Amino acid sequence: MINLTAVVWGTTGALFAFGLAIVVLRRQLLAMLLGLELMLAAVNVSLVHHAGIFNDAEALAVVALVIAVAAAEAVVGLALILRLRRAGSGADAALLTELQG
Amino acid sequence: MTAAQVPLAAWLLFAAPVAAVLLGFFVFRRLKPEWTHLPILASCMVVTASAFSLAADVYTGHSFDLNLFRWAAAGNFAVDFGLRIDGPGTAVLAMVALVGSLIHLYAAGYMKGDPGFSRFFLVFHLFFLAMIGLLTANNFVQLYLFWELVGVCSYLLVGFWFQKESARKAALKAFITNRIGDFGLLLALLLIVMQFKVTHFHLIYLKLASGATFELLPLIGLCLVWAACAKSAQFPLYFWLPDAMEGPTPTSALMHAATMVTAGVFLLVRSWPMIFAVEGLPNLIAWIGGLTALIAAIIAGTKKDLKRILAYSTVSHLGLMMLALGLNQIGAALFHLIVHGFFKAALFLCAGNIAHALHQPTANVDDVGGLQKSMRLTYLAFGLAAVSLAGIFPFGGFFSKDAILDAAWHHGGPLAIIGMLVAAGSAFYIFRMLFLAFYGARPEQKGAPHAHEAEPILAVPVLFLALGAALAGLLKGPIERFVVVGMRGLPSGLPQLDVVLNLPGEPTLPHLNLLVAGVGTVMALLGAAAAWRLTMADPGFDWRWRGGAAEAMFESDFGWKTVIDKLASAVSRGAGFTGRVLDKGGLDGLVEGTSGLTRAAGAVIARSAQGRVNDYLWWMVAGTALLLGRVLR
Repeated sequence: MINLTAVVWGTTGALFAFGLAIVVLRRQLLAMLLGLELMLAAVNVSLVHHAGIFNDAEALAVVALVIAVAAAEAVVGLALILRLRRAGSGADAALLTELQG
Repeated sequence: MTAAQVPLAAWLLFAAPVAAVLLGFFVFRRLKPEWTHLPILASCMVVTASAFSLAADVYTGHSFDLNLFRWAAAGNFAVDFGLRIDGPGTAVLAMVALVGSLIHLYAAGYMKGDPGFSRFFLVFHLFFLAMIGLLTANNFVQLYLFWELVGVCSYLLVGFWFQKESARKAALKAFITNRIGDFGLLLALLLIVMQFKVTHFHLIYLKLASGATFELLPLIGLCLVWAACAKSAQFPLYFWLPDAMEGPTPTSALMHAATMVTAGVFLLVRSWPMIFAVEGLPNLIAWIGGLTALIAAIIAGTKKDLKRILAYSTVSHLGLMMLALGLNQIGAALFHLIVHGFFKAALFLCAGNIAHALHQPTANVDDVGGLQKSMRLTYLAFGLAAVSLAGIFPFGGFFSKDAILDAAWHHGGPLAIIGMLVAAGSAFYIFRMLFLAFYGARPEQKGAPHAHEAEPILAVPVLFLALGAALAGLLKGPIERFVVVGMRGLPSGLPQLDVVLNLPGEPTLPHLNLLVAGVGTVMALLGAAAAWRLTMADPGFDWRWRGGAAEAMFESDFGWKTVIDKLASAVSRGAGFTGRVLDKGGLDGLVEGTSGLTRAAGAVIARSAQGRVNDYLWWMVAGTALLLGRVLR
């Protein structure tokens, strides 16, 4: 019998790793935002599963909070990307080097 | 004994010169520079009176050794400032005060009209003060202080006419050579502190007398001899003294003949119990002294510059004093030191009078000749001092030199022969100088037809000094007593030195030995006759060493000057090389290396801050992973 917890760990771990890889390796800002959402979703799935195991309501509250924060973050991120496109800088992270020391 | 009981004379010894120098510097130098010598001459009188009063005290058995105040202290170790008024100290002090005062008086006439008149007198008197301090110091640190001070004054006065390059060079040479010796004294001082934990003479004497073994003693003794050799112009380090004659004549007379150069001998007298305790060291001193005396006497016979002849003669006589010390004849060394102070000062001032009469800063034997008619007083003074130097009975030098020759004779061996040869050599060079200057003139000499007798202020001090030189033999008894009083320890509970130290041999002077005196006199007469034969007997005979190996040999002091020059240039080249390496490699390297390192580090770090978001994200991931790792462990 396959342990459900192991399945959840495997899926969420893979999802988180994919998200992280996308964020770190891709240069397309939109894709990076997507990666972020993927990581947050992975964490949410994991939290929901463990809340069931430990019978912990607080974890579910945190999931709701994370969903809200993810929505807000998506809003801000998309707005930034739109502003950048309007300003003609494109959405390529490799070209945005104003932070260079 | 407390500070309140210190006789007034001892205070005046310091108060008068300090007051005179301050008054001269702050008042007269500003307002009336040509009067600077007035307070200083007054101070000379006070000092002379005080010195003789103290000498009389000591003579009647009232010597003392007292700490006046604590100078510096650190933990268990402290240095006091004190006075040691004892036999050897006051005997030399009285001579220094008297001779020094007469030379001050002479200088008032000799330096008149010189643009640096007031500077000369201030430094001259500062030197006088330093010499007084040196002779009355009661510990090695105090002695070291005044030892350095006389060195500085010597430097300032040798280079007095600093517009002359030769004077500047001579001053540097004298100063650097003296510094080399001072380093020896400093080492000795530090070793003494290490070994004995005290610096007071009498405490060191007591510790030595306790019979304990002191393993550093040979090293201390060697360092002290090294210091004395530099100050008293002995063999390896004598060469600065003849060059020091670039200074004004009163300087040469007071510092480089009568007083300062005898400081080395005096240092050895003060530390004699230490030196005597080292096996073989007295013998070394005797050999250094004997060889220096002989070599310098030979070279003096070949020189032409009047002051240079006298300079080498000084080296030779200092060598005789060292010889006497090395033979454990402290009394004879001090006796000769004092007599030498008189006749050498007189001779130098006579040379100064001759140069003055010729309106030259210095005179050569070729410039003069036949001066006996035009300069009668100077001739008289020079003659008296010369026979005293040569050791002709009954003049002063006979007695002091006889004491040394007697010691050498009884020691036997090569030193006795060296002593007799020095007796002949010194008679030769001084009579050669006398004949060349005052007799003749020989055909190649100019003869100085316009020479005239010096004015009274120049002639009178010289006559007094010459009189002192002639009569100094009378001092034999008093000096014997001074040495005995000094060596027999001081009152106020201090143990008797010769008893506790068990010095062999009498601290008294040898009795007149007819055989030694006879041989010495014959040698002196032979020297004088040789001088007559070479210079005066046959005007056609060319006495000069010209050309060839002989002249080169004598000009370079038997090659030693060449060695020293080579050594000095090697040292300076080495110093230059080291400096370059250190400067370029060390300092420049440090400065440039710092900036280079910063720049390189900046370049490396800047590579991680290219402004790319993904790079930062990598860092963020790494940091988060690190934190998580920490938290989860």
